[in-house]
Amino acid sequence: MSVLEYLANGLVFSSIIVLASIGLSLVYSIADFANFAHGDTMTVGAYSALVTFGFVGGLGARFLGLPLGFFVALAVGVAVAALVAVITQRFLYDAMDVDSIGMLITSIGVAFVYRALIQFQFGSDFVEFGIQVLRPIEFLIPFGVRMTLHDVAIIVSAAILVAGLHTLLQYTDLGRKMRATADNPSLARVSGIRVDRITLWTWVIGAGLAGAGGVFLGLYNQISPRMGFNILLVVFAAVILGGIGSVYGAMLGGFLIGMINQLTPILTDVGIPIGIEYANAIAFVIMVAVLLVRPNGIAGGQGAGT
Amino acid sequence: MSDAGRGRGARLGRAGGARGDRRALPDGGVAEASPAETAADPVLSVEGVDSGYGDVQVLDDLSLTLEQEEIACLVGPNGAGKSTVLKTVFGLLTPWEGHVRYRGDDIGGMAPEDIVRIGIGYVPQTDNVFASLTIEENLRMGGVARDDDLEPVIEQLYDRFPILEEKRAAKARTLSGGQRQVLAFARALVMEPDVLLIDEPSAGLAPNTADEVFADVQAVNDLGTAILMVEQNARKGLAISDTGYVLDQGSVAYADDADGLLDNPEVSRLYLGG
Repeated sequence: MSVLEYLANGLVFSSIIVLASIGLSLVYSIADFANFAHGDTMTVGAYSALVTFGFVGGLGARFLGLPLGFFVALAVGVAVAALVAVITQRFLYDAMDVDSIGMLITSIGVAFVYRALIQFQFGSDFVEFGIQVLRPIEFLIPFGVRMTLHDVAIIVSAAILVAGLHTLLQYTDLGRKMRATADNPSLARVSGIRVDRITLWTWVIGAGLAGAGGVFLGLYNQISPRMGFNILLVVFAAVILGGIGSVYGAMLGGFLIGMINQLTPILTDVGIPIGIEYANAIAFVIMVAVLLVRPNGIAGGQGAGT
Repeated sequence: MSDAGRGRGARLGRAGGARGDRRALPDGGVAEASPAETAADPVLSVEGVDSGYGDVQVLDDLSLTLEQEEIACLVGPNGAGKSTVLKTVFGLLTPWEGHVRYRGDDIGGMAPEDIVRIGIGYVPQTDNVFASLTIEENLRMGGVARDDDLEPVIEQLYDRFPILEEKRAAKARTLSGGQRQVLAFARALVMEPDVLLIDEPSAGLAPNTADEVFADVQAVNDLGTAILMVEQNARKGLAISDTGYVLDQGSVAYADDADGLLDNPEVSRLYLGG
């Protein structure tokens, strides 16, 4: 495989990690705890999309090698992930009177509940959307890159979502309030911002993006009850690398960790006997190295809006 | 020991909510009064309030009043409860006992995000700007509770504080201490409040800068906003104030005209450092 192909794979994987990282960082910035149920929120999104796809899979024309029904399923996956997170927030997290460590532990419990319910309903086997696997795009093959239109769809969709989030944060009233609340929640209240509502929207957006990440992860790999949890540590690495609480840091961290993860085979190619099974370990080593120099992460300590 | 606040304005529950929609900035004139009001009414009164954090009581039967368009200054030793008074008035703490009245209405226990909508503003002592937001965004956040167009009022504030206009696109964290304090005032002023609560405006500022900030406090007051201010620098704070309260151990130890307190040898010796 060529370096270009590793980079192409890295771009696809990064897209998924970025979507998941943004959500984790957003929720951290406003709810002030590391949400261990975030990975399983991705799983919820993936399974919701899977079920929806069963009904609408044959729908319509194809776009980037995907039936339009897939995009309907994606929208449902995003919506269900957001809804489940909001219900959890409203009836559990909000009602808990514990510190951020207590919240973290609670969220681990929530993760188990999500996963158990999914496994109860769908079993623990791997499943797939069952969309026809595509051939690699012809004109990229001479460059040594085997990449399908599905991969392109993942990258394009992630780019659209990231651009949308950026627009929301920078140019809308809600986005400004979200940044203000993440920056200084007590001053936000003092200014008259209804912090509860902002928190709710943050959960909607953060979990919605996680849902999208889950759907794409399911398209990229397979769908299983453990898919989200298995990727959660990588997502945490990305968020911490970028600077936890910073949305733009999460984008950068997600991109870097995803890339590093997929570039690992290069080590074998150049004669260093470290196999791809160590991809995550390498990502973590690099994260630790960066944190030794910048303890708050690359964009750390600058607030959500920067 | 004078306990000036006690009993004043102690009428309970004025008939008919006096809470109108008073948005217009009183430009040099008398603050627009609600129909049931007389000129003698204090705009804000704290009546026999106990308050504190968790189980720890800080305020003990504290009373004070703020008249329309005046500056009242709270001075006293560390831990006397000065900032706690502001937090209790602004709903960040709920009074355990007693009443907080704004134009006669009991606002004790109302949430800050509602209090800011009835015409009271609050400038905290620390972390009083959104550091990662631009100056302009900070001002917009100050006006989230307004339904009307923010542009005119923000332009007005730019006219009054040119430094803010100059740096409107800069992040607030890039401001100097004095500029930051100006932004903190301006953020609160976007709501055009009748009452502004200011916690230690001169804290951490160099003497020259502190003087500038005090001048800004006076300028804000000149436009008709009543100000209740906590100030560590008691002499300077009282010098620009109409009334003063010396707090000690959660109660008012002395209350008088600001000049009266400054001239009072006992207050001078005990609380103003001789």
